[in-house]
Amino acid sequence: MSPVINALSYQHFPIYAIMVLFLGAFLIAVFGRNRTARNVLALLSITASLAFILALIRPVMLGGEIIAYWLGGRVPAGGYAIGIALEVDALSLFFALIVAVAVFVSGVYSIQYMRHDDNEREYYTLFLMLAGGVMGLVLSGDLFNMFIMVEVLTFAAVALTAFRNTATGALEAAFKYLVVGCIGSTCILVGTAMLYAQAHTLNLAQLAQLLPGNLNTATKVAFALLFVGFGTKAFIVPFHPLAADAHGAAPASISVMISGVLTKSGIYGIIRLTYFLFQTMNLGTMQFLLVFVGSLSMFICVTMALAQHDFKRLLAFHSISQIGYVLTAVGLCTALGVSAGLYHAMNHTLFKGLLFLAAGAVLHETGTTDLGKLGGLSKKMPHTTVLFLIGAFSISGIPPFNGFASKWMVYQATYQKAVESGNIGFLLVTIIALVTSVLTLASFVKVSQSVFFGQLPKELEHVKEVSFGMRLAMGIFALLCILTGLFPGLVTSYITEPAARAVFSVAQYISAMGFDASGVAAESVVSFAHVGVWEPISWLLILCIALLAITIVAVASKYDNVSQRSGEAVDTKYELFYGGEAQEFSQVGGGDLFWGFKHNWRGYFDFMYRLHSGVVNDYALWAVVDLALVMLFSLIVL
Amino acid sequence: MTIVISALQYLGYVLIFPGFLFCFLAGMLLCGIDRKLVAKMQKRVGPPVLQPFYDFFKLCGKETIVPASASKTTFLMAPLVGLAALVVIQLFIPVFSFSAFSGMADVIVILYLLLIPAMSVILGGAASGSPYAGVGLSREMVTIISCELPLVLVLLAVAKTVGSALGTGLCFSLSDIAAYQAMHGSLITKISMLPAAVAMLLIIPGETGNHPFDAAEAETEICEGLLAEYSGAPLGVYKLSHAIKMLTLTSLFVALFLGGLGTGFVALDGIILFLLCVVLTAVSISFVHAITARLKIEQIFKFYWTLVSGLALISLVLAWYGL
Repeated sequence: MSPVINALSYQHFPIYAIMVLFLGAFLIAVFGRNRTARNVLALLSITASLAFILALIRPVMLGGEIIAYWLGGRVPAGGYAIGIALEVDALSLFFALIVAVAVFVSGVYSIQYMRHDDNEREYYTLFLMLAGGVMGLVLSGDLFNMFIMVEVLTFAAVALTAFRNTATGALEAAFKYLVVGCIGSTCILVGTAMLYAQAHTLNLAQLAQLLPGNLNTATKVAFALLFVGFGTKAFIVPFHPLAADAHGAAPASISVMISGVLTKSGIYGIIRLTYFLFQTMNLGTMQFLLVFVGSLSMFICVTMALAQHDFKRLLAFHSISQIGYVLTAVGLCTALGVSAGLYHAMNHTLFKGLLFLAAGAVLHETGTTDLGKLGGLSKKMPHTTVLFLIGAFSISGIPPFNGFASKWMVYQATYQKAVESGNIGFLLVTIIALVTSVLTLASFVKVSQSVFFGQLPKELEHVKEVSFGMRLAMGIFALLCILTGLFPGLVTSYITEPAARAVFSVAQYISAMGFDASGVAAESVVSFAHVGVWEPISWLLILCIALLAITIVAVASKYDNVSQRSGEAVDTKYELFYGGEAQEFSQVGGGDLFWGFKHNWRGYFDFMYRLHSGVVNDYALWAVVDLALVMLFSLIVL
Repeated sequence: MTIVISALQYLGYVLIFPGFLFCFLAGMLLCGIDRKLVAKMQKRVGPPVLQPFYDFFKLCGKETIVPASASKTTFLMAPLVGLAALVVIQLFIPVFSFSAFSGMADVIVILYLLLIPAMSVILGGAASGSPYAGVGLSREMVTIISCELPLVLVLLAVAKTVGSALGTGLCFSLSDIAAYQAMHGSLITKISMLPAAVAMLLIIPGETGNHPFDAAEAETEICEGLLAEYSGAPLGVYKLSHAIKMLTLTSLFVALFLGGLGTGFVALDGIILFLLCVVLTAVSISFVHAITARLKIEQIFKFYWTLVSGLALISLVLAWYGL
């Protein structure tokens, strides 16, 4: 085979997908003074990366192949892996796919969104570094390599959080993120070092071969360190306040990356750690750990979101709440649960990306994200409003959008687990998940009322719709939200189920790298059966028929024959009804909208308010306490 | 040829029974009977039973005013989407052994489909730009949150009871629940399901926004809240949706707790279903309406998350331990 053809073999695609991103970052740093050159380079590298990842779907997802790639041809010698390795199974590819799509859309959006900022060259360099970091993390087959990528992405993310450093709170947010992010990275480094000292290898597959059954105190502590380290990257409780600061302060395109992509890297790390390296997920206590942390994140963050009055901070808390769903479902250790969790992880990237971009569009046009100062934008930005509503319905789990499809699987997986294991605790998780969903809806009703509907403040009379490029980026996400919601069968059978099957095929993962997997139990029977029935397409068809029938009747009876103010004619009947109240006293502010709910929970909300002090020392303390607790936990149960 | 016939058949389901025509007639009648009953209980004469029909047609003939501050499309489309979504839910609820579209949506899906009409009212109201709608929206949403927890518990309890009886562990499919009841008798005959049935009876007026849980509409203080700016045909559509929602929730109760063999004749089953709905409306909506005063929003929340959820939880725990 000639070298050229050999270089085009899909075996090389994983490293290409990582390389083009870093190469783009480097080239932009060098040649990026010119705007056109910069944009072309950025678009080229994200498109190429997406193309390489898409090309891998066929062999890896559908063909079930695991790509083992040794950099520089340094294959293991003497039974130990020395060189750097990439290992791409369906799980890695699944996360890489999420990353590539989110990076692509975020990049397209950036071109218009960042036009008016200084230092665009630095922005794109850091952006591509962040993208390359996450891509490298999920495709890596080597624990130390994962740590390096964690460092790259953390520092890029910190720098990008503070990118608009003149904005209020940006530097503060970046500082908090830096401190706690470093604690997390240090945990990963120390955990990696301890594992290396024990097992003399850093290769994931070889670790997975050596570790189970040979646990000692050092490896147990390493487990806790790695778990907490990846936990900080996923921003799960108790690291959620950082997410709020970081997502809120970063430019919207970066919020998409942090919330949609960076959190996934944490989830990916936790899956690799628990299912592969230590293979402990069949322990009830480990399932408890993941499900407990997941449910806690789910519930605390949704209630925190209800109390927010800043658009992006609110979205940030929801982001972690949805990550809670993912972690809970993954922690169930059933095939259906993992498939549901991964499905939700994918949907989370799509709808959260869409919502952050919509928030960015609002910020871009109005200059604020304070819910109290916005209102009535649906008349000025109709397209953004529709796109936002699609995202809001998706995240709130309204059928037929994608959030519903995956949450519905999560409910079933938890309830099924409860019935199968006879453990009433999982039932509680189902109930928490269902209630969280309606609370999510409530806070998005709040956003739509205080940003897009309601009254238009005088200062916002001049607002215009955002440019086509930004709407296009949002449109891609919105379209994907609808498609993945309408065809859950296709998504599960071609994307999430191969990935979930990979999670339960540790033996193949080990032997693909050329190590002996005889000590590991072969793939257990994987069943994705579930009891529910939901056919979105049929439902939509019936709804369309019903809507058509209503519309025909409505048009025939002149439903749309309405009186509306024309020209400058002043007629009081077109004004709002105030019933004699003074106008300025009647509007309910965004923060107080669900007073009836919050009043009953005032004890809880007061407690939460005091807990989230906003002081970085406290958050660092939480990290240490969390680490101590997880360490204690792993020493006892492993 | 067979395709045409089955297409016509499904069209008939959507348009006539249990779709639009049935929903329209039964819902409006239910609403009229409710008003008459409340009046009788309060020793008033009350409006004629057909009053909701008169109201509806009169509203359709009135001028529709769109406020200058409203987003016109959302304001006008929201009522129609809500109505369509509501009728589609009715199609998924089996009428004893007959179900128009079985195997398309389970109870959890119904739970979420019920949010679509609620969202349409909320978004329509929000789009009007009225401050009264803002207050109404807040209360409507809190009412939805209030009802959601007990409703979830009721549905899970039913799913567990039927599931363990069928040997599948749990069962979310409404047609399976109907089939189970046709074989083994109504679920309400089980002692363990009684608290859940009572809870469901209390949920019905909350979900429909009837007195005393109508803080979201509260004519006397916030001028019908979300509907404050609506007039003419869109208002009529909302009134119709409200009437149909009463029918939907009462027939959901019938499907969950009062299922049975039925007579085998769809028309007769429809009439029996309607009569049961009337009885349920009388018990859970009219009677409660007649004897209570409107609750404040935080009281509604507290009521549902403590008392009603407690009842449903009892059922769930009993069902869990197979009693």
